[in-house]
Amino acid sequence: MAQTTFPAETPAAASYQQARRRLPMARALDETRAFPVILIGPVLVFFIVWNVVPLLWLLGVSFYQYKLTSARPAEYIQFENFIDIWRASEVWGLLGRTLSFMLLTVGGATLLGMLLGFLFWGSGKLPGRRLALTLLFTPMVLPPVAVGTFYRLILDPIFGIANFFTEKLIGQRFDFLGNKDLAFATTIAVDVWMWTPFMILMTLAALASVPKAELEAAEIDQIPWLKRIWYVILPNGKFILMLGILLRTIDAFKTTDLPYLMTNGGPGNTTEFVGLSLYRTGFEAFQMGEASALAIITLLIAIAFASIYLYVLSYRETRAQLQ
Amino acid sequence: MNAHPWRQRLYHLVLWVVALAFFMPVLWIFLAAFKSSGELVSPNPVFLFRPTMDNIIRVVQEPNFLDYLRMSFILSIGSVVIAIAVAFLAAYSFSRYRPTGTNFIMFLLLSTRMVPAPAVVLPIFLMYTALGWAKTFHGMILFYVMFSIPFSLWILKGFLDGVSLRYDETALVNGGSRLHTMFRVVLPQVKPGLVAAFIFNIIFVWNEFLFNYILGGQGTTMIPVLLATGVKQGGMTDWSFIAAISFIYMLPLILAIYVFQRYLLVGMTFGTVRGEV
Repeated sequence: MAQTTFPAETPAAASYQQARRRLPMARALDETRAFPVILIGPVLVFFIVWNVVPLLWLLGVSFYQYKLTSARPAEYIQFENFIDIWRASEVWGLLGRTLSFMLLTVGGATLLGMLLGFLFWGSGKLPGRRLALTLLFTPMVLPPVAVGTFYRLILDPIFGIANFFTEKLIGQRFDFLGNKDLAFATTIAVDVWMWTPFMILMTLAALASVPKAELEAAEIDQIPWLKRIWYVILPNGKFILMLGILLRTIDAFKTTDLPYLMTNGGPGNTTEFVGLSLYRTGFEAFQMGEASALAIITLLIAIAFASIYLYVLSYRETRAQLQ
Repeated sequence: MNAHPWRQRLYHLVLWVVALAFFMPVLWIFLAAFKSSGELVSPNPVFLFRPTMDNIIRVVQEPNFLDYLRMSFILSIGSVVIAIAVAFLAAYSFSRYRPTGTNFIMFLLLSTRMVPAPAVVLPIFLMYTALGWAKTFHGMILFYVMFSIPFSLWILKGFLDGVSLRYDETALVNGGSRLHTMFRVVLPQVKPGLVAAFIFNIIFVWNEFLFNYILGGQGTTMIPVLLATGVKQGGMTDWSFIAAISFIYMLPLILAIYVFQRYLLVGMTFGTVRGEV
């Protein structure tokens, strides 16, 4: 910022000089050009100690055969961990399973969330709206650990309430979390329950970003609803929706706590996704080298997601500035 | 829809039904916290029962529970206060001086929050073990500070970018020092950002499990670990215990959503989308 100078005799200048003399520390700070860097300093320290150093550590360990519980010293094996991952069919199965989980849970939450978002669009005059929205939005702020825990109770084959209803309605009981064919679908259903409110929130935000004038014009012209959505609502709201879908996708990729508590990846490995698999390789099998290599790969995927997210975000901002 | 009051009433009824439908599973657990253990695991779900406070009392009397709950409060509030203080300084610099690399650092920080938790905790665990920081209080809280910084920085920078440079200029011209400008003139303008960053970071740390499970130890454990080990230890799960803990631990979250509903959007989108619902 440019320093503003005054003719020496103005009162403003006098008080300015006086203020500067009073606070030598502040003055020293004002004079130094390193001020912006000093401000960033603490964050940089945190960033280096908790991100950069661990990242290098991770990179290093990924070149070793390193089992934490074995007495054998770590052995340098170059790219073998990565080659193993490339060759191992389990890893491809794992990535495929994670991907289909992501697609289904994000797709489900997005569809349901958009529908309900539209439904809640005119909720401005709803009596007790704040309480209703609180109840609606609750699932997404709950600890995934608690959600995974209490769904075990709800879905229990013997005393779970879900089975009480299925028995009343279709006369059959299900082992939702223990059945090989059901566990994956059940995990998705619980995740959709947890995250549909988020997509409702994003849909409401997207709808709120549509200019009122355009909507009124469409109303006056009696444009059919599908056209209204396509030509008026989507062009204005699509960025927020896309950001929402991207955030959901990233979060679905990260999912670890929920399956860990609910199914522990089982039965078999039908609900084991990347996060849980990493946890098991690292902290149950203590294969640090192998886990590090897998972690590096997930890191790259995460960085790709972050770039796409920021691309959409900056695209939206430039567009907003042009208008 | 104003023309048909009954239609509007029906519409409002539908909205309430949807909201309640989403809340049902949570409500079921809340009810479970007040049931006797026999009612809780009965094959025929008990809908009407005499509420009992036994579970809550039993949980509160458990010495571990109070310690863990206290740690949940200390770790989440303590780390977020440090993170926001540190993030505000950096956000001010990024917003006002735009030093080279601003966008790059912001990008890197954002991507650190998009990595699956085990991939984050793995190298930290190796580092902490080597440095002897594992299971220590400062190791835990400083880790959570780092965990909270990216979000705080993004949210605060977004809000600071929205504060006109005129504020800074006026303050400097009138003889304020830079620190005065930052804390007395600009800081009050971003109060909503501070509140949002504060609340949602606390929620994220409050809900966090894996980092605490791996890096924490005696004296730094929070409630989610207690919940997880309660289910995982094998044998019969003590469901009334779990339900009572869940009730106590989730109630503040629901309260926070009610009180701070305005900040929900900005909070859940990492500060990248602003607005109110």
